[in-house]
Amino acid sequence: MYTQDDKRCTLGDLVTHVQSGDCVAIGGGLSWREPMAAIRELIRQDIKGLKLVGSAHGIDVDLLCGAGVVAVSAESYVGFEQDFGMAINYRRACEAGLVKVEDNCCYTLVQQLRAAISGLPFMPIRSVQGTDFIQLHPEFKTMTCPFTGDQLVLVPALKPDVAILHAHYADQHGNLHIEGPPVADILFAKASAKVIVTVEEIIPHEELAQKGVTIPYFYVTAISEVPYGAHPTSCYPHYAYDREHTANYYQAAKHGADGFRENYLNPFIFGCKDNDTYIEAIGGKAKLACLEQWEESVEQWIQLYE
Amino acid sequence: MNNKAKIQTCTLGELMIYQIALSIEDGILAFHGFGSPLVQLALHLAKRTHAPRLVLVAGATYGVNPTPPFLTPTTNDFAMNRGAECHLNIEELFDLAASGRMGRMFLSGLQIDKWGNMNVTRVEKNGKLTLKLPGGGGGCNLSCDTDRVTIWTAAHRAPPDEQGRRRYRLVERRDFVTSMGHRTAEGMHRSRMPFRGQGPDCIITDLGIFEFNSDGHAQLRAIYPDTSVELVAENTEFDFPVAENLTTADLPEVEMIEFIRRLDPMKIHQRELSPADRERTFPLDGV
Repeated sequence: MYTQDDKRCTLGDLVTHVQSGDCVAIGGGLSWREPMAAIRELIRQDIKGLKLVGSAHGIDVDLLCGAGVVAVSAESYVGFEQDFGMAINYRRACEAGLVKVEDNCCYTLVQQLRAAISGLPFMPIRSVQGTDFIQLHPEFKTMTCPFTGDQLVLVPALKPDVAILHAHYADQHGNLHIEGPPVADILFAKASAKVIVTVEEIIPHEELAQKGVTIPYFYVTAISEVPYGAHPTSCYPHYAYDREHTANYYQAAKHGADGFRENYLNPFIFGCKDNDTYIEAIGGKAKLACLEQWEESVEQWIQLYE
Repeated sequence: MNNKAKIQTCTLGELMIYQIALSIEDGILAFHGFGSPLVQLALHLAKRTHAPRLVLVAGATYGVNPTPPFLTPTTNDFAMNRGAECHLNIEELFDLAASGRMGRMFLSGLQIDKWGNMNVTRVEKNGKLTLKLPGGGGGCNLSCDTDRVTIWTAAHRAPPDEQGRRRYRLVERRDFVTSMGHRTAEGMHRSRMPFRGQGPDCIITDLGIFEFNSDGHAQLRAIYPDTSVELVAENTEFDFPVAENLTTADLPEVEMIEFIRRLDPMKIHQRELSPADRERTFPLDGV
């Protein structure tokens, strides 16, 4: 239980809750509401050897792989969909043996988190048998159901060391409000030992209560106000996905591990001491205005993808 | 007087979208994953034509019956979620499948075998990882739990390289089973496992359409106006039976094509097709 009255801290202090070697659950999904500012800070603080668990992810996991932070990936998908295709840094790190591949599947993950949330050692599922995930995960066991006689797969409780989330709003006590799809964030928050969160804005509790509490404060370890903290992924309705920046990222990733360091990590992470300098590096106010104006017209919105 | 040029042909992408749409029954709950624009368009087309009571659950956002203003290249996007009647969360969506209430799901693979087993996880050479694929999301679970699965791929064609070798999409043997078809690698039928779902009932490709026979083996059911059984066989690593009533697949109607083009102004779905396949068109009957 995290009951302190005021959980606000700097982004630098927030990330000190993550230790090298931790099992980490990253919130958001694909190009939506990834905690990118916290991920950049993790890289700057030289944290290593993380095991990542999650459902469908993209640039967040790819960037951590490109920076050499990841030892094991148990994600269910890492890619850039039909937008750019395969996740280049992730592929390179997996194929070079730098990242151990322990792919999982979405419902298996959900049931593992639910077991942790319920204080149970495992949850049963019908699926997965007959596929090669059984060989990939020797920790999955099978049993004959004492009620029906069916053979079920038991998946063990998964309790990540830290969940890293990005939310729209928090109050200083740590109550969170997320707009739009929460993806697996609520499950991650309830199952993880620690929950660290960047938010667009910290607001008074009364205002937050009116919007609605998505995740109660006592799950949350610490919060940091980092506007545009999901960039280049989207945080609608605040701002859209920055496809142009992501295209440049993808080009940089194509130039090998060293090329990626030179063309992306150096200018956008190591060369930026904090999120404000990062925002300047990606184009400052003009770029942000462009991403914030997605709702002006459908034509303007479409242009962000072209 | 309509000053728009009348549509006289459809593209391969539009034909595939229409054929995927035809696999969707009215009144069921159907769900698409991410990275699948052909399927997203097919679901919206089905809902606006023969399946108005479809419970359409959008991938990644889990919005129900959304009315997106345009198709985006990213699935978890507010545009794809616009106008949703209500929302599910991740556990509710997968619980619906696990409890037998998801009627249809759509899956693809870099390797698809004759039983409909698919690999989107890893390609190996002598037991060593040579190509890490993006992974299957929830496809493994849903291939077991969902009542019916539509398999699709826009990369069936496997042209020979300079040494004459083909890199097949429809393969004799896949390197990893990410999602379950009708039989395991050892030949055990899925009915021996306690699954809710009955497995895939079609494979819709850029060259034709397969069904699955009573053995659970892929069997060619339809070709396209510009393909043949021989062409399909040449591009398929495994041998397959051909249905007695083999047909040429129907083409979509003009209004359907207009709907697809309105919903996908950036032609995102064409990114699933090879550059050559983007040029394939079929003259519509009676126009």
